[in-house]
Amino acid sequence: MELTDAGLVARVLIDDDQHAYGELVRRHQSSVRGLLRQLTRGDVALADDLAQDAFIRAYKNIRSFRGEAKFSTWLYRITYNCFREDARKRKELVGINEEQWQAEQDPQTVDPGLRHDLMHALSLLPLHERSAVLLCCQQGLSHDEAARVLEIPLGTVKTNVLRGREKLKKTLAAWGS
Amino acid sequence: MNGEMEQDWLDKKLQEAVPYIEDDGFTARVLQQLPASEVRFQFLRPFILVAASAFASALTYVLSDGGRFIIVEMFKVTTIPTVWVVAFALASGMVVMAGGILAAMSKTTNQIQS
Repeated sequence: MELTDAGLVARVLIDDDQHAYGELVRRHQSSVRGLLRQLTRGDVALADDLAQDAFIRAYKNIRSFRGEAKFSTWLYRITYNCFREDARKRKELVGINEEQWQAEQDPQTVDPGLRHDLMHALSLLPLHERSAVLLCCQQGLSHDEAARVLEIPLGTVKTNVLRGREKLKKTLAAWGS
Repeated sequence: MNGEMEQDWLDKKLQEAVPYIEDDGFTARVLQQLPASEVRFQFLRPFILVAASAFASALTYVLSDGGRFIIVEMFKVTTIPTVWVVAFALASGMVVMAGGILAAMSKTTNQIQS
């Protein structure tokens, strides 16, 4: 019988079982790396470096996981913090401003090959909206879970998701026309 | 309703847009970088426990004059009235049962919360 995430975490806590932690990494590596690839706008090398940092940090701090939330939610929070710290270092935290976004969504300025590329549309969103949309719409977290991951109020998450969705729809519609 | 359908479509497309990423050695690289665990010394644990138990037993045997107190206490036990022995066994059984029920309830609550 396959162990649950909570069971594997218990093994890590009780026996310091690195094989159990390896199983947790195997289970969640795809979603964590996928999320980071989206957050870093497709920078695969940076995303994988950050994913490694996130998993190592999670291992070191696993005693602070109290099981109140899902392991994946707790892991996403660490992942997002790794990304945010790195982005701060690179001074990219502010993301694209509104004017830049307007310019980039102009059908004339977009590569025709990317017109229907949802991921490209997503990369045009400001970071706070992109993060909220990725967590809630792509990774399937509830608004409440996303608020915990992003460490922002629940209402702000809802607003960011709503705005992000609207912008995505607008961008896709503009490219489609 | 149309708005909801659009949302569902968008969410579905977003989920489909991220394919499963193959591990390709990622997990191995993470495990290599983890801080050294105490796992490598875990095989010593049973030996330490057995050695400590043997030492404690030997110490008790020596200090109690060859375990003479056990014989004395056993003799005392044989003189206890049968009713008391039955009552003690019953009470012990109930305490153990209550402990088991409490442990099971606590485990169930933890599973529900997690």
